[in-house]
Amino acid sequence: MRMNDALLGAILLGFAGWVWWLTSFFPAFPGQDYGPNLFPRILAAGIGLCALVLLMRGLRNRAPLLTVEGWVVEPARLTSFLLIPGAALAYILVSEPLGFIPTAFLLLLGLSLWFRARPAVALPVSAGMTLLVHWFFAGLMRVPLPRGILDSVL
Amino acid sequence: MDALMQAFGLVFDPFVLAVIGLSAIFGMFVGAMPGLTATMATALLVPVTFFMPPVPALGAIVTATTMAIFAGDIPGAMLRMPGTPASAAYADESYAMTQKGQLNLCMGVNLVFSVGGGLIGVAVLIAFAPMLAEVAINFSSYEYFWLACLGLTCAVFMSNADPVKGFLSLFFGLLLATVGIDPAAGFPRFTFDDVNLMGGVNFIATMIGMFAVSELMRGAVTVDATTKVVAQAVGNLFRGIGGVFRRYWLNFLRGSFIGTAIGALPGAGADIAAWISYAVSKRFSKQPEKFGTGEVEGIVDATSANNSALGSAWIPALVFGIPGDSITAIVIGVLYMKGMNPGPTVFQENPQLIYSVFLIFILANLIMLPLGWVAIKSARQILRVPRNLLLPVILLFCLVGSFAMTNSLYGVVLMLCMGILGWIMEEHGIPIAPLILGLVLGELLEQTFVQSMIKADGDYLDFFSRPIAGVLGVVTLTIWLVMLARGFRRGPVAAPA
Repeated sequence: MRMNDALLGAILLGFAGWVWWLTSFFPAFPGQDYGPNLFPRILAAGIGLCALVLLMRGLRNRAPLLTVEGWVVEPARLTSFLLIPGAALAYILVSEPLGFIPTAFLLLLGLSLWFRARPAVALPVSAGMTLLVHWFFAGLMRVPLPRGILDSVL
Repeated sequence: MDALMQAFGLVFDPFVLAVIGLSAIFGMFVGAMPGLTATMATALLVPVTFFMPPVPALGAIVTATTMAIFAGDIPGAMLRMPGTPASAAYADESYAMTQKGQLNLCMGVNLVFSVGGGLIGVAVLIAFAPMLAEVAINFSSYEYFWLACLGLTCAVFMSNADPVKGFLSLFFGLLLATVGIDPAAGFPRFTFDDVNLMGGVNFIATMIGMFAVSELMRGAVTVDATTKVVAQAVGNLFRGIGGVFRRYWLNFLRGSFIGTAIGALPGAGADIAAWISYAVSKRFSKQPEKFGTGEVEGIVDATSANNSALGSAWIPALVFGIPGDSITAIVIGVLYMKGMNPGPTVFQENPQLIYSVFLIFILANLIMLPLGWVAIKSARQILRVPRNLLLPVILLFCLVGSFAMTNSLYGVVLMLCMGILGWIMEEHGIPIAPLILGLVLGELLEQTFVQSMIKADGDYLDFFSRPIAGVLGVVTLTIWLVMLARGFRRGPVAAPA
């Protein structure tokens, strides 16, 4: 899925303007000519310039506004694609209340079954990898992985 | 001499050697799996090395990347799928050799010349880095400003992408680096009153998102694609290598030196080294018409080049703190995390650390020979690891790794956002590497720029007042002009009527 250069340029131009607007709230210090807004403004101008070139180029080329690849219209493959950010989002939402071990296990099992791994393989691999990662990060490296519902057991 | 002995003691420690051994196996595996890159291996390694002392942490990164760049050749020859982008330049050629029944020779050449090229790159690193550090010790903010500009410009210039999109990516990376407490005035910029953003955009979580999560999103679409039958190397890998060396020793040296030179340039790494040296090999070959039909000549050049680039990329990273490629960008991030700001002072204050890096590089290239042999022999098994299990496991590593970098979900949220952004960027042909270099160098660039502006009191000519700064400035401006001219010339041509 890709936007044409004109649309991309227009969005980026808006972004550059927004950044510039944000820098106008940065304080200036008396006697100091080069304040905290100088560098971000140069960058916003740079992004704006690039965006302008893209915009003009896109208007000249007249490509379709949005190009969509074949897999986007295949529901199964689109789901596969969305499952990766979806799984990360799910981890963000439930790992604190549920705890690392159940979340990671369910995540691994769910994904590998969706990708058509055989359950007889997916189950032990998911369990094994969850425990291995937990042992390494929580045990060996003392990363405070959330304990969740297993708090009393661990 | 004392520092060298200390370095030996640091490296030949059982724990460090065990880390090196494990990283070597990890690197071989990641490199040999198509779709998993050396950069991704490094990004996933950093959280693991986070709690280690500097020497094993750096050792893990050096070893894993060295192995991964070689191992990328294996699926190139067997499946016509390069394991890492650095092997893409000659994957077709290698596969053509396999079809001619020369898989053994192809793999043997890849292994031996990777080791050779790698050692040449390390030799140049050892010879030049300390010398350059002596010069760099006198650098002022002007020189650093221009060096950072030059490095960032090279990153855009050397990538094959459209320069406009390259600069876009670069500016965006630099802008991301400004998020957080402003170093000069202590004012929080672009933090939206969020406590996490006050500390800035975490670099490793960004890397994991950009290089691993976006790759997983791409991979998820094709995960159930049927795997091809894998050719297997049987018999003696080293038969005929002597003959190849006698015939193409000049190619080996040429490839290694081109690779070393490109690697040492800030912003360009192993993949570009391989492409260029393959092209040079074809250009100067006595029989260029045979290229692409399974001739070993171009492979000798390119496989030496990509491994030699790896070592020399550490020259600008260690001496100036300016990364030569995405991998050394991560290394610089790691050095900062360990409280050792890369730059010429490291050579004076912690010479044993520098010597340790040198030793690990030599060691990594030497153990590549036996380990690479094992990897080639067991390639069929490695390549049969099912992707439908691998993909979820890598995602879990990403999640835990980015969590560990901040000890909070902030790292995971950042990783997810950057993963989606990275995917969108790649879809639109916007390269990721300039953004990463911008994020790493942003603070240095802003600081040296503002310092220089204050010193010069607005007089831009002052930026050229010191000899080295003047040369660097003129070189940088020349590259900008060349790119501008190229852009103008390309503009009307690119637009179809």
